[in-house]
Amino acid sequence: MNSMNPTASALTGEPRSLGAAFTLPRVVIALSIAVLVAAALNPVFVTPFPILLGRMLVIAMLLLLAFTLAGAWKVPGLPRWLAQVLAVALVAPLATFLVYLPSIGFLAEPMRHEGFVLGYTFITGSALVLGPLLALGALYRERDAQARSAALRFELERSTLEKQALDARLKLLHAQVEPHFLFNTLANVQALVESGSPQAGPVLRSLIEYLRAAMPRLQSDHPTLGVEAALVRAYLELMQMRMPDRLDYRIDIAPHLAEIRFPPMALLTLIENAVRHGIDPSEVGGSIVVSAHRDPADGRVHVSVADSGVGIGDSAQSGTGLANLRDRLQAFFGGDAHLDLHEETPHGVRAEIVFSDAKAGAG
Amino acid sequence: MSAAASALIADDEPLLRERLRAHLARLWPELQVVGEARNGREAVELFDQHLPQVVFLDVQMPGMNGVEAARSIGRRAAVVFVTAHEQYAVQAFTQGALDYLVKPFDAERLADTVRRLQERLARPQAAERGALDTVLDGLASELKRRAGLDGTATRHLRWIKASVGSSTRLIPVEQIAFMRSDEKYTLVVWEGGEALIRKTIRELADELDPESFAQIHRSVIVNLRQVSQVDRGLNETAEVKLKNRKDVLPVSRSFVHIFRQM
Repeated sequence: MNSMNPTASALTGEPRSLGAAFTLPRVVIALSIAVLVAAALNPVFVTPFPILLGRMLVIAMLLLLAFTLAGAWKVPGLPRWLAQVLAVALVAPLATFLVYLPSIGFLAEPMRHEGFVLGYTFITGSALVLGPLLALGALYRERDAQARSAALRFELERSTLEKQALDARLKLLHAQVEPHFLFNTLANVQALVESGSPQAGPVLRSLIEYLRAAMPRLQSDHPTLGVEAALVRAYLELMQMRMPDRLDYRIDIAPHLAEIRFPPMALLTLIENAVRHGIDPSEVGGSIVVSAHRDPADGRVHVSVADSGVGIGDSAQSGTGLANLRDRLQAFFGGDAHLDLHEETPHGVRAEIVFSDAKAGAG
Repeated sequence: MSAAASALIADDEPLLRERLRAHLARLWPELQVVGEARNGREAVELFDQHLPQVVFLDVQMPGMNGVEAARSIGRRAAVVFVTAHEQYAVQAFTQGALDYLVKPFDAERLADTVRRLQERLARPQAAERGALDTVLDGLASELKRRAGLDGTATRHLRWIKASVGSSTRLIPVEQIAFMRSDEKYTLVVWEGGEALIRKTIRELADELDPESFAQIHRSVIVNLRQVSQVDRGLNETAEVKLKNRKDVLPVSRSFVHIFRQM
């Protein structure tokens, strides 16, 4: 049979509704087949062709109605397709009988006319053969359309997810290498070079290491916590060169955690926040402690950045940086990864990422 | 005139203070650098102490920033801003009141500045106070806005501090689903769990951003962005259902109007 309109019914996931199943293509096909059958049977019958055709058309519509109703009416324990084919088979003799009723009157009468019995048998026979066959064909097409719409839906979901991942990545790219950080750092390097300081070499090395890790095109396909720690160390070395009297730091990452997968720039985002919102606004500065360990109780990894800076005011903007980072962690580690912020005493903030790396290790 | 010139350098990055001092010593040997400040507050203190004719001010310094320090110094000295943020410097310069240096700057650019300063010190000062104040006011609010310290949008409560176990959690308000009063305390329910805080529902209703949060009952505040459904009940009341949560919150009669236009 003709294919259903997949956008109208199948995509909405409600192909069983009455209106949707009783589509124009189906009606047209049922009527055309009725015309063909009437034409084929015409030589056998004494009945004039218009009457025969009329009967056939009525039978075709009744069978289509039966097919549609059986589809909408859910019978427990009976598959829908079987219910529909059975309905068509059962309704075929009944419908034929029904169209003969007006011409012959009461129940007992028809059996006496040999011609009638013959006609009835012919029509019922052809309805019985063609009806269920067409029903099966319609079902096949319908299932095909549903499968296609499911595939379409799946494709849509997948592309939406891909787009979200891409968006997150684009946001990340835009966030990288703040020009003011770069220019301030270069101004310091310039000062070291001009004064002939032996510190110039090591500082340039840190800057190169930082830039290499922070340049999106140069990022590794297998980001690890070890790579991220090297980036963070380079960044903190540069910051300490710039504000030696205001920044202390310590990086305390267990060596065996260096190989676990870790989203690039995630730790750096937390460090940048600690510098920007904790250390930078403070005249006396403070310290930053980066640590990572595996909780022996549940095997989850805790990565934290604690600063002793000015802390977060009640109405300080929470910003999109942390929200983006949360999204990235979810995307990278899956549902159970989270990022929490804690207030430090006497002042400062500790940001902690907790995740299971089992899935990350496998993928 | 230039023989008696004195200057103050303010920058939170010591290497940059040293570099500027070294170049000034070469380009303007008569200039006496009377002090180095690490932030705006120190700059103002040292200025009041020494009253130098020239002040080099880094714009972004901890505590009091360079622009605030410049406002405090006012017309009493020739101020040169030093910044990596070119747009601030250009804003100030287009008004003709000050000179500026964009980091990293080279020695030739500093030589220009020195020439300009020497000319300025050689002639009597023109009255430009009004224009300068306007520029500095604009710059100061721009800096504050960038630091997230000012502006109407930031005045609402954005973080809830709640004791959880031995630590104090900082909860961004966007993550909160709802808050319900619990005798003396308020129960905060957010994506990461639940916690009791000391603020009352009334205080919270005043402090939270009304765009996102609404009191819907004497004892309940809900995050409107987390509401999935509102069901009308009897007697002009209603119930609120939340996204991804089973909690059902009551809406009392006096608050039902909140959801009318939704």
